[in-house]
Amino acid sequence: MRFCNLILWDMKFQARYGFYLLYGFLTLLYAALLFSFPEAWKEKAAAILIFSDPAAMGLFFMGAVVLLEKSQRVTSFFAVSPLSVIEYIWSKTLALNIIALVVAAVLAVSVNSRSISLVLLGTFLSGILFTLLGIIIAAKIKSLNQFILATVPIEIITFVPAVLHLFGATPEFMRIYPANVCMDMICGREFSVVGLFFTAALLVIFFYAAYRSVSKMWQCEGGEKL
Amino acid sequence: MRAICRSFLHMLKFIRHDMMLFAALTAPVLAGMAIKFIVPFIEKSLIQFTGMNAVISPYYGLFDIFFASISPAMFCYISAMVMLEEHDDHIDRYLFITGLGKNGYIISRIVIPALFAFVTTAVLLPIFRLTDLSAAQIIFLSLTGTLQGIIIALLIAALSSNKLEGMAVTKLSSLIIFGAAAPYFISSPFCFCFSFLPSFWMGKSIYDNSLIYMVPSLFVGGIQIIILQRKIMKSLI
Repeated sequence: MRFCNLILWDMKFQARYGFYLLYGFLTLLYAALLFSFPEAWKEKAAAILIFSDPAAMGLFFMGAVVLLEKSQRVTSFFAVSPLSVIEYIWSKTLALNIIALVVAAVLAVSVNSRSISLVLLGTFLSGILFTLLGIIIAAKIKSLNQFILATVPIEIITFVPAVLHLFGATPEFMRIYPANVCMDMICGREFSVVGLFFTAALLVIFFYAAYRSVSKMWQCEGGEKL
Repeated sequence: MRAICRSFLHMLKFIRHDMMLFAALTAPVLAGMAIKFIVPFIEKSLIQFTGMNAVISPYYGLFDIFFASISPAMFCYISAMVMLEEHDDHIDRYLFITGLGKNGYIISRIVIPALFAFVTTAVLLPIFRLTDLSAAQIIFLSLTGTLQGIIIALLIAALSSNKLEGMAVTKLSSLIIFGAAAPYFISSPFCFCFSFLPSFWMGKSIYDNSLIYMVPSLFVGGIQIIILQRKIMKSLI
């Protein structure tokens, strides 16, 4: 019950700060853009749009979410409440991914994607990975500019190989690279099972790192170690 | 004036601490090098791959426009992020009651970075351009790119009350740069749907190779800046 309330609170928070409005507008814009593309381009263009925006929204917004919570002293209350770090991380991850999944579903339907369930699975997996990375960085930074700068290398090492992989410009062994596995899924094509195993392992590692980062952030609230 | 300079220097110290100053200084050069060297290389590969005479070279003008928009957008975006931080930390309201005032604050946070962006663009565009731009076109693109940067910063500061709203507005406001693509990809008169964007007139000017479109571009940009400036003066408490 506490966990459900937390997700609900996070969703209300997102609605209040215009996330739903923003993504409603962006979804319409992306769908119109895809509609104007030639048939041969549509599926790949949709995959790039889904992977770089709704799936990666955690990486873009998590810095602002955590910094706002810090400046409003919300994290101080979390630290002394019965809420666990695991619940906090899952709530943030799932609440953001709900928007990502809805946007991805609309875009996949608009281009008649081969397998919508696979697109959603790929969006969900990449969404979790990006959000966890966002949480790990956000827990350590002090300003938005720091966060934006810290996410640039992550964007380069995830987006560039994934886009190159989409166009078949990467060697065969790169099929197991987690970003490429997610891109294969979002594109609705066959993915590497070994790669999926690696992605799951990476997810566990990122979750552990996020757990450590958030625990440390909560312990250091107010400049004192609790 | 002294208060404005001090306030600007304070912001520089703040972003230097974040390494953002270093990023702001190097990013335009890196982006310029990518446009100058990687885009023609991709074009060469695409010509070999497709057997066509030209694939992306007809759109080189668009790359020049985007390059002219990058530095101002980035400089003003960094300033807008600092403004959001100061608003959330309640620092801005203390600055308003000093000799700096609201106007001085806006000048130190948006106008001075925009002037730096104008100079940077005017210097780097002739080096990294992909098409034969005249001196007047370079000045025009630098100027309208700067106006666009100011609009982005004002939009972020005027429409958002905290960091999170700021990030959402940032995402939306950065789309205004893409108005430049309309004259290239949308036939007339439908492309004029985007005529409320200064970037549309930048695209039109380069696409039609006519400097006359500088007038509507400056007019549209100027009107938007005045409206947003008025809104921001009301919203800043």
